[in-house]
Amino acid sequence: MEYQISDIDKRILAALQGGFARSQTPYKDAAKQAGIPTEQLLAVLKDWKDHGKLRRIGSIVHHEKVGFSGGAMVAWLVDPEHVERVGTTLAGFKEVSHAYERRTAENWPYNVYTMVHGTDMQAVKKTVERMSETSAVSDYRILNTERELKKVPPTYIMNDPRCTMLDARTSRNSSIENPGSSIEKEEEQVC
Amino acid sequence: MDEIDSRILRELQHDFPLSERPYEVVAERLQISTKQLWARVQRMLDEGVIRRMGASFDSNKLGFSSTLAAVSVEPELVERAAKVIGQFHEVTHNYLRNDAFNIWFTLIAVDEKRIESVLEEIRTTLSLEKAAVLNLPVKRLFKLDARFDVSK
Repeated sequence: MEYQISDIDKRILAALQGGFARSQTPYKDAAKQAGIPTEQLLAVLKDWKDHGKLRRIGSIVHHEKVGFSGGAMVAWLVDPEHVERVGTTLAGFKEVSHAYERRTAENWPYNVYTMVHGTDMQAVKKTVERMSETSAVSDYRILNTERELKKVPPTYIMNDPRCTMLDARTSRNSSIENPGSSIEKEEEQVC
Repeated sequence: MDEIDSRILRELQHDFPLSERPYEVVAERLQISTKQLWARVQRMLDEGVIRRMGASFDSNKLGFSSTLAAVSVEPELVERAAKVIGQFHEVTHNYLRNDAFNIWFTLIAVDEKRIESVLEEIRTTLSLEKAAVLNLPVKRLFKLDARFDVSK
């Protein structure tokens, strides 16, 4: 059963996707933008929270600026039979913020991914060694971040009321057929 | 950053209140004035310690699709690839990493078909072989907790 996002949900997402306004009444402001009463917005968010659609509300911190300047994605090659045990073990490290099993590719067999943080890269490497010993997985790759190329909050709904993300498929058809001109097209498009 | 800043950051990363004046509730929890809390939050936003205040959603549960993707490009193609990839609003994070697959990015899109077409457009625009593009959607989530233990 596919979840169909309602019009109200779309308006709420559009109002909240970029983060709160710098206001002491962020929900009131978002509700105004969404064109609904504040109570309704709060009730929807409560419902989303209860159903896991809303993960968390609060501050998104710049981890380097709060003392975690080391960070790496680590890709692990785990025997499919042991994924549950290994994934749970790796997720148990407090230095790990994200842990997933992911699909593999023919030329990329790594199937478990963790984001590991620490005060510096040395600390991260030590943690990864401990993770490897504890989980008994010796084949892994530390994928250091050399440079952040982009980091933005997700755009679920396009701000222009004439087009939402749901319209993106049709609006881009022309550039898919004609990939050479995709960049120029991208800049021209409203969506 | 002093001890009060740390306490504020710890508190703001957890259970931000769903109430009309949430900062008043947080200030009360921390036993400081709303005025002081607000001034410090503004300062930390200005300094970039707090990237933003807001909500994080589970894209998949809201009906969207997401993935982690990677491409392998020659060093001289990195800048162009970063530009081509970054232009899609579906791309939320993109990092240069030290591996044969050197550009890693996350996508959130309306459905899997759209993700595949974005990746195909990136691939053809950059003239890459099919094997030079990885699409690695999540099969199982073990942990997602991007909160940081701010100790001092």
